Amino acid sequence: MKNSIKVERAILNLTQEQLAKKIGVSRQTINSIEANRYVPSTVLALKMSEIFNKPVNDFFKLTEED
Amino acid sequence: MKIKNIENCERQKLEHWSRFQLPHHLKKWFIAAFTLALLGLLGLKFIEIEPEWLKFILRQFLLFTLLAISLSKEAVEDEMISSLRIKAFYLAFIFGVFYGMVQPIANSAVGFLIGAKLGQYSLSYFQVLFFMLVIQIAFFEVLKRNR
Repeated sequence: MKNSIKVERAILNLTQEQLAKKIGVSRQTINSIEANRYVPSTVLALKMSEIFNKPVNDFFKLTEED
Repeated sequence: MKIKNIENCERQKLEHWSRFQLPHHLKKWFIAAFTLALLGLLGLKFIEIEPEWLKFILRQFLLFTLLAISLSKEAVEDEMISSLRIKAFYLAFIFGVFYGMVQPIANSAVGFLIGAKLGQYSLSYFQVLFFMLVIQIAFFEVLKRNR
């Protein structure tokens, strides 16, 4: 799984801390998701989708390994 | 219909119990209590007459504080922290069972080499539980640091 959360965050000019606060997680969790070390739950992905105002598929993509 | 109700009841109860956690603000008190209990147990080693009842109480208290620490919430308790905690419990269980199986064999082997009788060494419940809980807390901290 790869993602473009960092890009989406930059578009909205949000820091990791601000995004984390908006969706109720820690900054480290956002950092881990961006670095592909952690795959978030559907609930968290949908919360991000609401913030970015985009479907989940736009910023989470399956890779060949998946 | 009744079986469905029983299944639902079981599912809800298990879900409820599996979510049980202690508040974060209590964690520092449990750590302090653990330190005191550990110091108490170490202090007993220096007393000539080691009261068995006190040793038993301190050991139980030590296990209780370790369990309470491992069940205490973090400052920000999100889904990633929960997943790391589950991983740490999983690893602690595997290592604990392995430790419980291998340690008596290792002790017996060493004992045999120095001339002791075979089957003389076994592990107490305290050793195994203490090991498992310490491993869980240690792995959780390592996983948290490397997340």
